Amino acid sequence: MTPPPATSVAAMMRPLPAAEDSRSNRDILAVMGRPTLGYVALLLLVVSAVAWALGTFVYQTYVGLGVAGYSHPIFWGVYIVTFVFWVGIAHAGTLISAILYLFRAKWRNAINRSAEAMTVFAVATAGLFPLIHLGRVFKFYWLLPYPNQRALWVNFKSPLLWDVFAVSTYATISTVFLYVGLIPDIAIARDRSTGWRKALYSVLALGWQGTSPQWKAHNRTVLHLSGLATPLVLSVHSVVSWDFAASIVPGWHATIFAPYFVAGAIFSGFAMVLTVMIPVRRIYGLERYITDYHFENMTRFILLTSLIVGYAYGVEYFIAWYSGVEAERTSFWLRAFGPYWLSAWIMITCNAFVPQVFWFKRLRTHIPTIFVVSVLINVGMWFERYVIIVTSLSREYNPAVWGQYTPSWVELSILAGSFAWFSMFFLIFLKIFPVIAINEVKELEIHEKEHPGGEYWEHGHTYEEVH
Amino acid sequence: MAEIDRREFLKLVGASAGAAAAAGCSEPVEKLIPYVVQPEEITPGLPVYYASTCRECPAGCGLLVKTREGRPIKLEGNPEHPVNRGALCARGQAAIGRTYHPDRHPGPLRRTGEGSFEAIGWDEAIALLAEQVKQAGSGTWFLSGDPGPTASRWIDRWLAAVGAGGRVVHEPFAPEALRQAASEVFGAAGEPRFDLTDADLVIDFGSDFLETGPSPVAHARQFAASRDVAEGEGRKARFVYVGPRLSMTASNADEWVAGKPGAAGALALAVARAAVDAGAGSAAVREALAGLLGNFAPERVAAQTGVEAETIQRLGRAVARARHAVALPPGPALTGRRARATAAAVLLLNAVSGSVGRGVRVSPAGAGRRASYRETLALIDAMKSGRVKLLLIGDGNPVYSLPTATGFAGALEKVPFVVSFASLADETSARADLILPDHTPLESWGDVVSAPGARSMVQPTLRPLHDTRALVDTLLDTGRALGPAVAARLPSGSFRTLLEQAWSDADWREAVARGGRFEPAPATETVSLAPGAGRIEVAEPLLEGEGDWTLLAVPSPWLYDGRGANLPWLQETPDPVTKIAWQSWAEVSHATAERLGLELGDVVAVETPTGTLEVSVYPRGGIRDDVVAIPIGQGHTVGYWASAAESGRPGEPRGANVLDVLPAATDESGGRAWLAARATLRKTGAHRRLALVQTSQNQRGRLLGEAVPLAALAAGDGHAAEHGGEHDESHGNGHGDAHHELLKPFDASKDADPDSSYRWGMAIDLDRCTGCSACVVACHVENNIPLVGERRSLEGRQMSWLRIERWIGEGSLKGGRTLPVAADPDEAPGVVDVRHAPQLCQHCGAAPCESVCPVLATYHNPEGMNAMIYNRCVGTRYCSNNCPYKVRRFNYYDYSRENWPGLLGLMLNPDVTVRVQGVMEKCTFCTQRVSAARHAATLEGRTIRDGEVTTACAQACPTQAIAFGNLRDEKSRVVEKSHAPARSYHALHELNTRPAITYLAQVKRGRVGEEG
Amino acid sequence: MPTLVGVFEQPAKVAEAAKRLRDRGYAELQVYSPVPSHELDHVIDEKPSRVRVWTLVGGLLGVTAGYALTIWMSTNWKLVVGGKPWASIPPYTIIAFELTILLGGLATLLGLLVVGKLPRFRPDPAYHPRFSAEDFGLVVSCEERDVAEVDGLLRAHQAKEVNLVEG
Repeated sequence: MTPPPATSVAAMMRPLPAAEDSRSNRDILAVMGRPTLGYVALLLLVVSAVAWALGTFVYQTYVGLGVAGYSHPIFWGVYIVTFVFWVGIAHAGTLISAILYLFRAKWRNAINRSAEAMTVFAVATAGLFPLIHLGRVFKFYWLLPYPNQRALWVNFKSPLLWDVFAVSTYATISTVFLYVGLIPDIAIARDRSTGWRKALYSVLALGWQGTSPQWKAHNRTVLHLSGLATPLVLSVHSVVSWDFAASIVPGWHATIFAPYFVAGAIFSGFAMVLTVMIPVRRIYGLERYITDYHFENMTRFILLTSLIVGYAYGVEYFIAWYSGVEAERTSFWLRAFGPYWLSAWIMITCNAFVPQVFWFKRLRTHIPTIFVVSVLINVGMWFERYVIIVTSLSREYNPAVWGQYTPSWVELSILAGSFAWFSMFFLIFLKIFPVIAINEVKELEIHEKEHPGGEYWEHGHTYEEVH
Repeated sequence: MAEIDRREFLKLVGASAGAAAAAGCSEPVEKLIPYVVQPEEITPGLPVYYASTCRECPAGCGLLVKTREGRPIKLEGNPEHPVNRGALCARGQAAIGRTYHPDRHPGPLRRTGEGSFEAIGWDEAIALLAEQVKQAGSGTWFLSGDPGPTASRWIDRWLAAVGAGGRVVHEPFAPEALRQAASEVFGAAGEPRFDLTDADLVIDFGSDFLETGPSPVAHARQFAASRDVAEGEGRKARFVYVGPRLSMTASNADEWVAGKPGAAGALALAVARAAVDAGAGSAAVREALAGLLGNFAPERVAAQTGVEAETIQRLGRAVARARHAVALPPGPALTGRRARATAAAVLLLNAVSGSVGRGVRVSPAGAGRRASYRETLALIDAMKSGRVKLLLIGDGNPVYSLPTATGFAGALEKVPFVVSFASLADETSARADLILPDHTPLESWGDVVSAPGARSMVQPTLRPLHDTRALVDTLLDTGRALGPAVAARLPSGSFRTLLEQAWSDADWREAVARGGRFEPAPATETVSLAPGAGRIEVAEPLLEGEGDWTLLAVPSPWLYDGRGANLPWLQETPDPVTKIAWQSWAEVSHATAERLGLELGDVVAVETPTGTLEVSVYPRGGIRDDVVAIPIGQGHTVGYWASAAESGRPGEPRGANVLDVLPAATDESGGRAWLAARATLRKTGAHRRLALVQTSQNQRGRLLGEAVPLAALAAGDGHAAEHGGEHDESHGNGHGDAHHELLKPFDASKDADPDSSYRWGMAIDLDRCTGCSACVVACHVENNIPLVGERRSLEGRQMSWLRIERWIGEGSLKGGRTLPVAADPDEAPGVVDVRHAPQLCQHCGAAPCESVCPVLATYHNPEGMNAMIYNRCVGTRYCSNNCPYKVRRFNYYDYSRENWPGLLGLMLNPDVTVRVQGVMEKCTFCTQRVSAARHAATLEGRTIRDGEVTTACAQACPTQAIAFGNLRDEKSRVVEKSHAPARSYHALHELNTRPAITYLAQVKRGRVGEEG
Repeated sequence: MPTLVGVFEQPAKVAEAAKRLRDRGYAELQVYSPVPSHELDHVIDEKPSRVRVWTLVGGLLGVTAGYALTIWMSTNWKLVVGGKPWASIPPYTIIAFELTILLGGLATLLGLLVVGKLPRFRPDPAYHPRFSAEDFGLVVSCEERDVAEVDGLLRAHQAKEVNLVEG
């Protein structure tokens, strides 16, 4: 088609007509629309749960940790269990956005935003627990190497210090990652909003306009962050596992802990993403962007990591037996058949057996099944940490002080509070930021338009490749 | 009562360090006010020691009372005292609590109604008493324990002066039967005393001499000396325990012969017979006893005593072979209605073994009146019949300590006016019409005859904390108030002056300074068998009731006859056999439990003709199937810790009082018979959890409490050296070999700063440790360790830094699924294999706890101690998780605020920080003592000498099982002790933590009469 | 100086147009795109992004800081814990690693801002919300007299419309 010739400059002096918006913009920004009654009710519920947990924490801090279930020699309980649990959850996000990015797995584009958000919120939840469990929480800052007059520094040889660094680094980097990815989408929202939202987005978008230098820097940044986050995500849960592996407690002191924990983390992380995104997709009708294909891919990951975790369980028992160390053997024997047998079997069933259903295509693509399994996995993974921590401590080297531990109502309240805390952040996030990376989805659409029928979804090529 | 907490006290005395440390970071800053006029003998910060005497039991051990700024803070043994030689038992250690006890009577009290009293002045009180005495006249009676010779004399004088009825002495555990037996057998009135030092064979028929015997500390020391393997063949005395229950004492025996209860007499004679057959005994003795022993052929008594003839024969041979065999008569638990004959039989066995005059001496009866149960019962009858108008009750708590069946409490109601002199509230004083509180022993003057030749002095170590008066002074004042006639017959001056007169034969100042006058025991006249000796009648015990089980009322090692029940340290310290704290229990055999379908903690009803008692059961191997044993001492209804008040149920009894179901029986001599009833057991279906502080006595073959056979020592078995008994064939579970490669020897003395002259360490000799737990209480008192009480003990939240672990043999791989677990069935008659292993911080050279602390709150200090910096601790508790010995404790609550009610805060050791909520704590090797010694040494420009500093636990130990010192001093005692190639080992050596504590494996001497 | 904005639907066309314009000597070009598009990346600027330098420097800074801090802090009190040397490298390596990532990541973010000239608070007059929808924009600044030519060129490359905005 030939364009009409330009008559005169004056003739061209007219404002740009408002072009009709793209569908992806409309669909995804719609999620951020006016909250429904259900949403408000849910938010209120979780906020009050958080308030209750906060109250119990204050009570515990005042009266002392005696109100928790601790008793000699079991000095770590629900709090550390929950810490490890949430750190584990936090692994899916970075895995999806960093590792899958490096592997050019294009299908990640639909889910990486939500996964990254969960990562940040999970870390924010996990980070609280090492403090909640402190005997003197008001001295928590002593764990940081801050300059002080008497030059009292921290003990960098302690696994707990490694934790401090690993977890805070992870929190920072995953936040940066989330934000960098958000910038172009915030710009989209900015261009389509008014009032306080406009003000907020204008600031957060940093004046993003999608000029080519910006995009180039952006791509490079995402690439480098992925490069950094990949070893980070592997290190974080390794370090967490060393809290246990670096000790001499029978049941903790095992070389396989790092890979075992990382696999477990990815396992639980994906499960949590499914647990959260299946309802979200349903409620906000995002089927066009998050397809069953995405869920199926995640179930594949879950199947793989489940096999790794199951293998690790087996190896633990084998080594305990093969080592010939009576303390190890006893510890593991009583893990499965002692007072905590129920927790142990919940863990094995939910993590090693249940996910095997994903060998079948029909079940991999059957959303209700996926949802149920993902929930079971979350339960199983919490119990995994409970079993590792509590049963090992309850049967240590000195039988004279073997002990028993039962969580108290305080600990359970705070555990419940942690789920509320996490949900609270996610619910708010839904309403403030695009839950799907619009620009990445749109990129695929536009590419579709250019090369119709290309299997871009499956194995895409990225900008770097072209050059 | 004025509430003075520790902080205020410190302000008063101006000790700064303690306050600053105790205050922690979050506490407000406080001003410290120095003395205005400083007492010359007191230097703030330095302790002053006063010699005195322990009044907890009749043994009369010497004390050094450690005072700081005028407050006693710890009781230690007086090294010069012949009875305890510097050691002090658990009860003695805890005795300090009486002075600061919240239950103390603030001053004279007059009863105004049921259980309610009003405070009155002394003048009024004495006038009141005088009035009552005047009215009562000869209806006035005085009941008490033994107040000591001088006090006794003046009480008697006073009673005579006021024309009172008389005085009755009641000591629940007084060995009355034994005294009578002595006069019967030897014709010499007096008290038989047993010395084990030179014995090479000890046969105990149930005296439990290591716990509640006549002189536990002295006997423990002698016992250890007689068995000291370090001193060569000559010193390896054998010890056989004969009795129905494997008590703490029995657990230290080489062999346990589980004779039927009450069979001691027959057994003693049968053994004597077997010994005579094997050629023992002088001609005279043989001749004198020929007739008697004729009826006691081992075969004949076997059935009646429940012991095979073969065993009796073997013991007899052993007695014959022994150079010096000592037999000990039964203690209270086995004192039956034939107690006199039983005791006589045991004395005869000693006569046969030829130890009379050597290990067994009869010391002449001391002055003053003796405890008499018969007289006590007579008094009760008099009370019931209303002949007693006025009853004065000195020390002792008869309402509790007399069998309920005697009806003493009821009889007390019939007495118009009852006066109690108790300084602490108890069941008796609660029923008194007038309370005229006496000082506590730490506040008063007095004297005690501890042993022949040993006259001990009791002197005040602080100004009375309350408005109290010495008992004798109260009486004298009352006497004077009765008018010139009476006054004329009474001395002028106070009890102190009377005491000084009584000691006029000694150098008063020296006696007070040294804690008494100690001379070698006067040569006892050589006793020989009396003509009637051969005519004693030993027969089956007489027991009331038809039950299948004989009821054994066992004196509690800590609570004694119940007098210890109000001392929290004793309640908190787990029983040495069952490891139960704060509670009562009934010991039954596993067979019994099975028969009745009872699990650990199930409540059983114990029924005797006298009454019924409900108590949780503790099934174990170490008791006969036909016996049920219940410890004496619990079931008090008065007292903050004695009753359930501490558990929030004031007025309710803590645990069960076995005296409720005992008949008021006496023996032939009129002495008190404890072994007097059969019981039936009935399952109630209820369950009451038992606070087992040690959750399992099965060490599963782990390197915790080791033992080596005597043979290995003789062979100087180097193989055993590394592995402390690992080579033992009977080793539980064939993983011993695994240890062999893993255990690499190391030199603990290297684990300290190269420039430091010290590496502190310890050697603990399991062959000497009897499980008496004196160290545990000493540690509690020395280090201000919180007492957590019953509920938190049930939660497994005890705070003790030092505990004694009781292991039954090598253990097996059985059990562990449920906790706590009752003692193994392995605890069976025959060779005894029970190991008492003190467990405390090992001050490892490569301490797992240190490297995991994120804030460096615990680290290895230059002198090799595993130091704990409370102020720096944030409470991650990782250190405890990573400690394989599990000796670290966590402050769940702010004990520093709630743990020391009343004036108890005054006895806190100002040199030791009171830990705040949320921090870890553990054994520090008494670092405060080391610092003090270092300071002293530095002032003299030298290093600390060996023996100059020792830990509270080592100091308290009656058998010197613990040696503390500098591992870098080649000649130090600890190094010398640790060097025992065949016995030394390290707990959990295979973990390579390089402990500073070397354990010496217990020596297994095997069956008596089968040497080698 | 007038500025023309050509609105395109396909990044490829934008690229062609931009190339053509530069050949004709129009240097002042800018591209707005709703999505990252590799066709456009090097139309304006050939060189690869300099963000990489920032990451490298940050990472190196991190690893150095990691070892330096841990070792220096250990020298203040040379405490022995668990019988280990007062400065033991293996555990410190973990700290150094985490700091490498941390500083590397933060530096990268900083690089994005610097290189991408962010934040910028006054939007270009040529920018329009449609460019955050699906349209691509090619902005050309030129002399008055060249407006017609540029307009023509843009349209020749299938600009669905061309608009003039005041520069």
